[in-house]
Amino acid sequence: MDESVIISNVFHHVAWGTTIAVYFWLVGASAGSFVVSSFGWVFGIKRYKPLALSASVTAIILLLLVPILLIWDLGKPLRFIYLILPSYWHATGPMSWGTVLIMTYPIAMIVYSYFVIKNNELWAKIIGILSIVLALSTHWYTGVVMELNPGRFLNHTALAPLLFLTGAFISGIGLLVLILWVRNMIVSAARRIEWSLIYEMAQYMMYGLVFDAFLLFLEFMQSIYGSQNEVMGHEEVLLGVFRFPYLWMEIVFGLIVPFVILVSPLKRTRFGVIVASILVAVGVYGMRIWWVMGGQYLQTFY
Amino acid sequence: MSDIDRRNFMKFGAAAVAAGSAASACPGLLNAMELELGGNDFHQIRTFHPRDRRPYLCTMCSYFDGGYTFAEDGEILKAEGNPDHIATRGKFCTKGLASFFGASDPDRILAPLKRVGNRGSGQWREIGWEEAIAEVAGKVQGALVDVDSIYLNEGGFKDGGTVRFMDTIGSRSVIRSRLPSIGTAPRQAALEEALGFNFILPDFEHTKYILNFGANIMETALPLAQRLTDGVVNNRLKLVTFEVRMSNTAGRSDLWFPVFPGSDGIIALAMANVIMQKGLANLDFIDTWTNYSSERLAADLEKFTPEMAEKASGVSAKIIKKIAIEFAKSKPATVFSHNGVSLHRNGIDAEMACLLLAVITGNIDNEGGYCLPRRFDVAPPAPAPAPVASASRQLNPRFPFEVKEGTRRVQVLFNHMSNPAYSSPAASLWREVLKDPELVPYLVDFSPFMSETSELADIILPDVVDVERHDVASSPTALWPWISMSYPDIKPRGQAQDVRLVLKQIIEAIDPDGSRGMKQYWAFTDTEQWVKQAVKATPGMKKKSYKRLKSKGVWPPYGKIDPATRQIVKNGEPVEADYHTYTATGFPTPSGKIEIRPPAWSGNPRHGALQSHQFVLTTFKVAYHTLSMTSNLKYLAELWHSNPLWINTGIGRELGIADGALVRVTSEVGYLVTKAWLTQGIHPQVVGISTSVGRTAYGRVARADPRAHAPFAREEQEDPDIDHNLWWRDGGVNPNDIIPVALDPETGAQLWNDTVVTVSPAERGDRYGDISVENARHFAIYRKLHEQA
Amino acid sequence: MREARRSYGLQTPGTRGMPGAKRYGMVIDLRKCIGCNSCMVACKAEFGVPMGVWRTWVKAADKGTYPNTKRIFMPRMCNHCDYPVCVRNCPTQATYKHKDGFVLQRYNRCIGCRTCMVACPYNARHLIPAKRTGKNLPTQVVDKCTLCVHRVKKGLVPACVQACVGGARIFGDLNDPNSEVAQLAARETLMVLKPELGTSPSVSYIGGDWEIMDEPHSYTNRTARLREEFNTFKRNHDGDAFGDIVEGESTMAEVGKNFVGFLRSIPHKAKEVFDAYVNLYLR
Ligand SMILES: Nc1nc2c(c(=O)[nH]1)N[C@H]1C(S)=C(S)[C@@H](COP(=O)(O)OP(=O)(O)OC[C@H]3O[C@@H](n4cnc5c(=O)[nH]c(N)nc54)[C@H](O)[C@@H]3O)O[C@H]1N2
Ligand SMILES: Nc1nc2c(c(=O)[nH]1)N[C@H]1C(S)=C(S)[C@@H](COP(=O)(O)OP(=O)(O)OC[C@H]3O[C@@H](n4cnc5c(=O)[nH]c(N)nc54)[C@H](O)[C@@H]3O)O[C@H]1N2
Ligand code: SF4
Ligand code: SF4
Ligand code: SF4
Ligand code: SF4
Ligand code: SF4
Ligand SMILES: [Mo]
Repeated sequence: MDESVIISNVFHHVAWGTTIAVYFWLVGASAGSFVVSSFGWVFGIKRYKPLALSASVTAIILLLLVPILLIWDLGKPLRFIYLILPSYWHATGPMSWGTVLIMTYPIAMIVYSYFVIKNNELWAKIIGILSIVLALSTHWYTGVVMELNPGRFLNHTALAPLLFLTGAFISGIGLLVLILWVRNMIVSAARRIEWSLIYEMAQYMMYGLVFDAFLLFLEFMQSIYGSQNEVMGHEEVLLGVFRFPYLWMEIVFGLIVPFVILVSPLKRTRFGVIVASILVAVGVYGMRIWWVMGGQYLQTFY
Repeated sequence: MSDIDRRNFMKFGAAAVAAGSAASACPGLLNAMELELGGNDFHQIRTFHPRDRRPYLCTMCSYFDGGYTFAEDGEILKAEGNPDHIATRGKFCTKGLASFFGASDPDRILAPLKRVGNRGSGQWREIGWEEAIAEVAGKVQGALVDVDSIYLNEGGFKDGGTVRFMDTIGSRSVIRSRLPSIGTAPRQAALEEALGFNFILPDFEHTKYILNFGANIMETALPLAQRLTDGVVNNRLKLVTFEVRMSNTAGRSDLWFPVFPGSDGIIALAMANVIMQKGLANLDFIDTWTNYSSERLAADLEKFTPEMAEKASGVSAKIIKKIAIEFAKSKPATVFSHNGVSLHRNGIDAEMACLLLAVITGNIDNEGGYCLPRRFDVAPPAPAPAPVASASRQLNPRFPFEVKEGTRRVQVLFNHMSNPAYSSPAASLWREVLKDPELVPYLVDFSPFMSETSELADIILPDVVDVERHDVASSPTALWPWISMSYPDIKPRGQAQDVRLVLKQIIEAIDPDGSRGMKQYWAFTDTEQWVKQAVKATPGMKKKSYKRLKSKGVWPPYGKIDPATRQIVKNGEPVEADYHTYTATGFPTPSGKIEIRPPAWSGNPRHGALQSHQFVLTTFKVAYHTLSMTSNLKYLAELWHSNPLWINTGIGRELGIADGALVRVTSEVGYLVTKAWLTQGIHPQVVGISTSVGRTAYGRVARADPRAHAPFAREEQEDPDIDHNLWWRDGGVNPNDIIPVALDPETGAQLWNDTVVTVSPAERGDRYGDISVENARHFAIYRKLHEQA
Repeated sequence: MREARRSYGLQTPGTRGMPGAKRYGMVIDLRKCIGCNSCMVACKAEFGVPMGVWRTWVKAADKGTYPNTKRIFMPRMCNHCDYPVCVRNCPTQATYKHKDGFVLQRYNRCIGCRTCMVACPYNARHLIPAKRTGKNLPTQVVDKCTLCVHRVKKGLVPACVQACVGGARIFGDLNDPNSEVAQLAARETLMVLKPELGTSPSVSYIGGDWEIMDEPHSYTNRTARLREEFNTFKRNHDGDAFGDIVEGESTMAEVGKNFVGFLRSIPHKAKEVFDAYVNLYLR
């Protein structure tokens, strides 16, 4: 007997679409650049100290702009305030945690930047550690908000926050490199950031890519050895409808190509690093697309 | 004053309470209670605000289910079946549930429209009723000398007084696109001849076995379907369906046998033969209650062997024997057949053969058998004109040809509840004829909507829609007779007027002083009086009938429906139906017995020997639409709006047609381009296209184009839902242009299931929805038919 | 079997089998379902549900190879889960579990964030479009089947049960052993959707068929017509705001179009927000 064919059904939208994907992307970049910013002041890698301010300002600006997207995306944007009303707050909702994080994280960063400007080593470090935790949490939460939906098979994986964080780290560096590049063109020679430093950052990005590839491989293993939903989700959705963002944007042009650049002699050229950075940033956008929409996509037919 | 204040106060209070209850997490208002099956309705948010209830009679099909509409502030928001209705039992199909939307349809015609510009150019001027009536009356007056040149094309399940109008003026020229009661002409003719009734009711609720030939019970006969499902669970009945495609009914049957089109008759005869041969027939019943003796019948049936049936139908002889024996041994068992059988060249014989199966097993009017119809004959309000036109049962497929060749002279053509420009065979020829002012000098359409036919009219007189109409009806859909009423108690939208009132004014204009003897039949002041008189004149009505109908919608009261068993109970006891009613009175046939025609079967010459890419085209109805009446109802169109060509998967692949690919469907007269749907559920020599979609008129929902506002659409009627949320763009393709006339020689009915087509992959330049036909070929086919007859 | 007890947020715990507690739910007897879709239309009319969103719907599938084929139907709706993921994940407590078994929406609290839609494993929820028929009805908040609590409160069965031609939908208190639903549950084998998720649905089926109940199967085995319709749906029904990727087209272009769509939606949304603001504070 042939398998049955669905001949009639109603249709459903992917509930979280581009806006959310863009949000995840930018908030990730914010977290990533902040991590770079903290190299100097928190982890004491002196060379990175000059970077700290531009990195944290990038992070702050992103994070001040980006929640607007979230509010924007609400059916009732003017009701965003409900998210923080104590009588409405719902402790088990991942989004409730996110709200708290998104609100406290920029404040922490601002305070941190203040101490960086004031050159206050101790407080910059203390607040820096706090901010780093918040940065990671903010981004961990974006992974978790998708992960804690047991019905969405592609998202429901404990690796989700890690994948997000790694993505954040590499796309953060990518964006930062681009910003520094532009900045270097504008500011006076004295205030330019050393290219050698940028090349070094690119090497961190390369390690990030390796780790990202490893995580993707784990995910891949789980899906092809997984339940029918996971196998199907991988084969039909990721390699089907979302082939471009998944396979091409993320894996080929967002992972393999920049990796090759960053291990080749090109890694010490401006051209190589800039191209790799662009590719990584765009590749992570691809990942956000398939991650957010792909996971929901399978079910829109159910 | 104080009353109103109190009401308003209550409303506000209720709203506040509801808002409060919605806001507090656990109002805990629910106690253990018996839940009612219906009969009331409440606002979804203002829960303490009941909606106003009015009895409603669904006239979307001839089953005439009774129900209620629920309104708030004069706006109908919901309809449902009447839970105290013996036939409906609280159930409406989708059409009945959604038809109330017609009242607020933004594309509805709300004032008389007069054509400006050429016919069909789509330019209209709103005129007042006075002008409209004067104009139409003038045309009628002018034509009265040759009164038969005043035509009525009637398609209504209820005629709305139009036939009475024709009787009043004395014109015999009534043509019909459908018969007023259940079933198409060949079926009605066969039943009438054999039983003296034009309908017969299978008792699905109590039966053990159903043989279904070409009836799509679950999509087109909903009051019967609800009893079938009860039987499925309560009696574990077996449903065996012979169909050419997997309709919902075939797909839900215990056994579905795909048959070659037009072969049901021989299958039934072969089964009857087997039953006689095996001694499983009820010989007593045959001998006492039919015009045949059992021996002669057995002898006459002998030549119809299962092998012969196998050859014609493709169903194996072994299975035919097995099913025949099973059927005969199941007590009680019943049969049902419909258009799949009746609308073929051999339809009447085939219908007789199906009936024969019930007759020879004695399953006539017994519990669980094939039961005689029970209904009230709703009388016309007295005094009624002598029936001139209503005697006419002429069907309309010939009409445009006859007009074109000059055998019929038309001066005025009234059209009511019919849309031949869309739903008749050779629809393109209809359009040609209706467009020609030489052939049809004056076309009047009574219609609340701009149908393909209305588009060609000279004047459109907007009728009320069914939820606004005060009317009564009865239909033999239960084992107990009932009569149902619509009592809208709201004003029609805009300037819409009930056809009866318009006709009254026309009559008054042509017979102002009553000297022509016409006015007397139109003496009622409003439709309420009309209905009162009709109820009064109907046999079997009591004094309080009207009053009760007005409040409860249905009469007589038999009892209550038990929500669990869905049986009608009175004082705790189930109400039993009377069976074997014929024993007292006999059958209303000349002989008082069942009059069987000598069993006969002729192969279908039109199908001939089909070539490998030739198919028999079946055009079928779907559960969510009634021909062309429902396409603009948004909730129904959302369910069904496109009609791909059903074609067997294997055959499709052989022809190089992929699922969803464009195909050309070519008949003798032309072709259409549509999309293919490859399905396992259709006979390899059959292709299918559903009706009801592929509209070029009627409104933006029907046309699947939210921007196609009608020029007469009113701002205040606009529905933002349609303008913003209508998401589909594929509105289907109408098959009727490529379907040539094929007429049943006895009744003149169109044989819808006899069209032969070829199917091929679309050619270069073909676009979805292309239709190309030559009306000259339509005409040639008609001439050939005519000569043969 | 011991019920896995979990807390699903600050909400009423599941009431399955809890003595004294109610658990309203539905048993859908698929043997009686004839696919007439009356339930869908009745539900839409009851609430004036806009086009393109559904509180309940009837899936249909064709099974088998010619000539041994069958058609199966499967009405779907909110399962009123005893452990509703939607409730747990909602950030504002706009959706909650009523102690009698209903999972309900508070429109005045809902911010339209759609977290609950992502959480619901059954597609039971939808965002009400911005434009709809009917004055004073909520828009742009999430809605779903309410199990017709407004009718049940007034002693009526839900609208879809009222309308069900086949009599396939049976409603009642699953915890009350005398109710029809409980008796059916005792007598027949019941199936629920995605039991492995532990949501403990209050809507169960008699005579279900996995080929229509299974999620991946619904995805792979669709007719070409359904695929095409889905794409038109995505393009025309509030597509921008959601940004669905349209299937079967060059996805590079799709991702680009999608992004452009997102940018384009910004002025739209700005106007919406502005209008809402004007409505709220300036009128
Ligand atoms: N939903 C809905 N219900 C309706 C109506 C409607 O428009 N819509 N209209 C009402 C009216 S006016 C009518 S006349 C009735 C019609 O009611 P039905 O007769 O039940 O409906 P049809 O779709 O005309 O035809 C029935 C079936 O016959 C099949 N068929 C075609 N050829 C053959 C054949 O050779 N053998 C067999 N065994 N089957 C064959 C077709 O595939 C189709 O499914 O319905 C009434 N009820
Ligand atoms: N291909 C194909 N064609 C078929 C069939 C088929 O099986 N296949 N079936 C045939 C059968 S069985 C039948 S019965 C015929 C039916 O065909 P028709 O008798 O032509 O009926 P409809 O197409 O339903 O047209 C009814 C028209 O009435 C108008 N109308 C709707 N509501 C109202 C109202 O409230 N008041 C008034 N005054 N007018 C209203 C609308 O303009 C609507 O278009 O179709 C036939 N056509
Ligand atoms: S079957 Fe449907 S269309 Fe026909 S009378 Fe009943 S509710 Fe109306
Ligand atoms: S079906 Fe979905 S919306 Fe309904 S209660 Fe369960 S999780 Fe919530
Ligand atoms: S959309 Fe409304 S109900 Fe759903 S999670 Fe957000 S606030 Fe809660
Ligand atoms: S219970 Fe009410 S809201 Fe839910 S599907 Fe049925 S009719 Fe719709
Ligand atoms: S109304 Fe009842 S029989 Fe009809 S589709 Fe819905 S559940 Fe099935
Ligand atoms: Mo008909």
